[in-house]
Amino acid sequence: MSSRFSVSTLALALAVVAFAGCDREERHSRSKPLGETVPAGESPDTILPGGSQPPAPDPRAKLYDNNAPAIAEGQFLYTRMNCVGCHAHGGGGMGPPLMDDEWRYGGRIDQIAATIAEGRPNGMPAWRGKLTDDQIWKLAAYVRTLSGQPSKDSVSSRSESMSATTPQTLTPREPVHNSDTAER
Amino acid sequence: MRRVNTALLNVIAVVACVGLQACNKNQPGSSSEPVPSGQLPNGPHALPDRAASPPDDGNWVMPGKDYGSTRFSGLNQITPANVGKLVPQFTFSTATTHGYEAPPLVVNGTMYLITPYPNDLYALDLTKPGAPQKWVFKPKPAAASQGVACCGTVNRGAVYDAGKIIFNTLDGQTIAVDANSGQQVWRTQLGNIQKGETLTMAPLVANGKVLVGNSGGEMGVRGWLAALDEGSGKLVWKAYHTGPDKDVLIGSRFKPFYPTDRGKDLGVKTWPPEIWKLGGGPMWGWISYDPASQAIYYGTGNPGPWNADQRPGDNKWTTGVFARDVSSGEALWFYQTTPHDIYDHDDINESILATIPWGNGRRPVLLRPGRNGFFYVMDRRTGQVLSATPYGYVNGYRGVDLKTGRIAVNPDKEPKPGRVSRDICPAAPGLKDWNPSAFSPVTGLVYIPHNNLCMDMAVQPANYIAGTPFVGADVKMYGGPGGYRGAVTAWDPIARKAVWEVHEDLPTWSPALATAGGLVFYGTLDGWFKALDARTGKLLWQFKTGSGIIGQPISYRGPDGRQYIAVVAGVGGWAGGIVENKLDPRDPTGALGFTNAVKDLPGKTTAGGMLYVFALQR
Amino acid sequence: MKQARPATLLLPLLLSSCDYQSYQSTFSDAATEVRNFNILFVVFLVICAFMYVLVIAFLVATIARRRRAHANVVEAGKHHESDPLMRTGLIAWGALVATGLIGLAIASFFTDRSMASAAAHEKLSLTVTANQWWWDVQYNASDVSKTLRTANELHLPVGVPVRITLRSNDVIHSFWVPSLAGKQDLIPGRENDITIVPKKVGVYRGQCAEFCGTQHAHMALVVNVDSYGDFLKWWQQQLRPAFAPATPLAQAGYNYVTTGPCAACHNIAGTPASATVGPDLTHLASRRSIAAGTMPMSSGNLYGWVEDPQSIKPGSRMPTIGLEPKQLHAVVAYLETLK
Repeated sequence: MSSRFSVSTLALALAVVAFAGCDREERHSRSKPLGETVPAGESPDTILPGGSQPPAPDPRAKLYDNNAPAIAEGQFLYTRMNCVGCHAHGGGGMGPPLMDDEWRYGGRIDQIAATIAEGRPNGMPAWRGKLTDDQIWKLAAYVRTLSGQPSKDSVSSRSESMSATTPQTLTPREPVHNSDTAER
Repeated sequence: MRRVNTALLNVIAVVACVGLQACNKNQPGSSSEPVPSGQLPNGPHALPDRAASPPDDGNWVMPGKDYGSTRFSGLNQITPANVGKLVPQFTFSTATTHGYEAPPLVVNGTMYLITPYPNDLYALDLTKPGAPQKWVFKPKPAAASQGVACCGTVNRGAVYDAGKIIFNTLDGQTIAVDANSGQQVWRTQLGNIQKGETLTMAPLVANGKVLVGNSGGEMGVRGWLAALDEGSGKLVWKAYHTGPDKDVLIGSRFKPFYPTDRGKDLGVKTWPPEIWKLGGGPMWGWISYDPASQAIYYGTGNPGPWNADQRPGDNKWTTGVFARDVSSGEALWFYQTTPHDIYDHDDINESILATIPWGNGRRPVLLRPGRNGFFYVMDRRTGQVLSATPYGYVNGYRGVDLKTGRIAVNPDKEPKPGRVSRDICPAAPGLKDWNPSAFSPVTGLVYIPHNNLCMDMAVQPANYIAGTPFVGADVKMYGGPGGYRGAVTAWDPIARKAVWEVHEDLPTWSPALATAGGLVFYGTLDGWFKALDARTGKLLWQFKTGSGIIGQPISYRGPDGRQYIAVVAGVGGWAGGIVENKLDPRDPTGALGFTNAVKDLPGKTTAGGMLYVFALQR
Repeated sequence: MKQARPATLLLPLLLSSCDYQSYQSTFSDAATEVRNFNILFVVFLVICAFMYVLVIAFLVATIARRRRAHANVVEAGKHHESDPLMRTGLIAWGALVATGLIGLAIASFFTDRSMASAAAHEKLSLTVTANQWWWDVQYNASDVSKTLRTANELHLPVGVPVRITLRSNDVIHSFWVPSLAGKQDLIPGRENDITIVPKKVGVYRGQCAEFCGTQHAHMALVVNVDSYGDFLKWWQQQLRPAFAPATPLAQAGYNYVTTGPCAACHNIAGTPASATVGPDLTHLASRRSIAAGTMPMSSGNLYGWVEDPQSIKPGSRMPTIGLEPKQLHAVVAYLETLK
């Protein structure tokens, strides 16, 4: 009767909740497909002459953006590959801050991955050939958490370092200004 | 032995006394009233070395003013009595907005300015009104070098010698330019940015050798000091600061005073295997030279990484003071100020050459306001430490044992894996960082512009990848006891105490200038250029410039015979990085921890790069 | 107890001979700690077994008595305390239990004391730092230029007390070499330690005993207990930097390893590769296993590991790079020279 109805609704609700988190937790440990590359990221402010269409967003972005294991691995790589030495925990130092709303070379995950892979003038090192593309995508996924972009259920709630910035589950989401002004 | 001309001293004293009576105005400003804590030295006091500090000729040809690094101008037209009438005469925009740490050079009517990256060299004609630009030399260093400069893309100065202006570029070159025409004479590549190496220091020319040291202690770079031939730019000798004795140019003439600095190949034996190759100990600071003995004196930078757990041992020859023969580079003695440094207390601060009364005569010494918080007076013939006294609040160390020469670290404050060490004073920039003090032979005092900062520090394993930071530490800095973050202290090196101290809200990152007129000039991080009375520390004059001041103020005699004071205002460097690079104040570990100490700076100043020249109103 | 002593000494030996292997067995007698544990185990076993048998005997006796006719009748007015047999029995039982417990306590106390005294006289100091999912091993020496860094494999001198400081870089792991000592956790933010006095030369296997993530099962380590002379020889050999590549193929491998992704994580002493994220590879080819005991060391396994670590140990931090065949040949040729 009504109890049977509520039991089946409850079961349905649980099933929905259980399956909703699947994407978030999917691991791609074989880093397939092996032939993947990091795209040469085009700047969002580029003039597209003659009315040409902007390219479609990269399909691989979905695999890493908002993906919890990728963000966790990216967090490990961010410290060990010395990103923290130039960018601190988002505040910047030798390198520009990553937690604010200014992105010189674009703030989408594929643009960040391109920046990491190719390097940039004014001092960003080029990591293509030193990190695998899978590792670069994971780093890009983590970098986006510094400005609060990914959903809050895929980020780490604990920082591995001395308590500095707000926990990632509370980081406010910064608007991403796609500004291409290379200021230096 | 040597005594200053007492008649001249009396004249200066009388003028100063008269000036004091006449000028008692209380000017408002952001600094506090000076805190007097001692007597001015009576009787014989410290004096500069005669050979290293000749009488002032009205020029400013090397960053320290003279080989003794006194930063003292013998000009005395501007006095406490008339400094209230100091007004700007002309300005010049350097077209850069990075941290400006260099002094302007003045050589016989021409002023030379070397900018931070891109290291343009300007020559201004002082004989014409408004000092128009004569020429500019643009070395065009590699833009990628900006990514491996730890603490601002700064340049600490050029040097003039034998008709050439010689300076370093961020991407590792040393360049000599003809002082008249602005044409390049020679260019030598010394540093490699792929290894994280840059050149930011001001070279010194001594005995026909151009002395250049590298930067990169935070990048796993092996430190060195090199000498180039002044005429051709060719490398004459290069002394590393880690590794086997033959690399460090340690030979038969090497006689360190303390037993812990004696032994064979200590640059290898005091490190775990192979770690000395990434060891650090760069030389990015100041060199002094004694023409009588032909010896140079300088200190070495921090060992790498900051995480000291990865490099047990004394880590020679980092964070210590070297004396070398300038022709061959052979080491004469070494004293390790901070063995096994755990707080990033580089020892590259200035070594002022002086003589102090000792027994019946005088003793040749080095006066060194140390980064670790101690003011060292060392016998410069042997390297013996005569005194080591804290000149501010220090709790990271317990003291220096003068018998063994060893500093005692406070074990409670030692950063260890798995814990955060809190409230370590002085913080990583030390009680005083690179910005040099000035020494006045008139008062016998050393005027030290410095910090009052403490820090929390946590270490993690540091990973070495060439061209990237090799640090392994999270740091958060803040103001020390008393709440003020900077100060200018007038220190008596013989009585070993402060005579007066002026507190500043912001860390004092600017060098000091002392004049024979009886004034001390310095700038604040938010752009106030100030003149204090050298005897009492009273603020007598100040001027708000367009950007924070971290550059060396100078004084020179213009072609019209008048005394001028010049400084370039351009905030940046490690302290001003939050403004220079637009860092985010919400991350306290930004800029290696400095962001947290100066979160309010972006509200108080903006980036700039403007020369200001002042003289007395006619 | 007097008759029991030869038996208690004999039992551990009997137990160890029961096993088909002694390289990863808590019943071995390869180290003082394990021997002490085994003696304690036997003491506990004997005393508790004895008590167990007694209790079962009483239980059986009680059940058997039920078959008699008048067992259920409770006589009115009679209380247990007034029955002298019951009183004697209870006092005797109490005394027996107390004796047993005191015996256990004394045995336990002596075992602890012998472990602590070994810890107070350590002659060799190691630091083991656990990572996900490998062991970073550092040998400390008073002369810092003789400190040694290796991974996943320890060498210990027989008869010398060695104290191992245990740290972790990420999550809780547990150091467990059953043939030599008990378990001790490695906790991030804390330093634990364990002291071992090996008594028998041999090779022993240990593994992580605290679930630490996906590859917890593939986090083993190898402990070689050598004679003192052999141990010193091994230390000297490990201090030597890596051999320079001798053949063109090894040279090509050297070039790739020191300039490519390998150098971002691994250290090979004497080469530009000085990173600390992954295990030290300077003497990789002299070890018995690859990837913390995941596979035995062999040419074929090296090929497989270098080419596709994610299919062997999925989730581990070593990425699948996707080397070209020529690059793979060169890299493995170079790695095999790192003896």
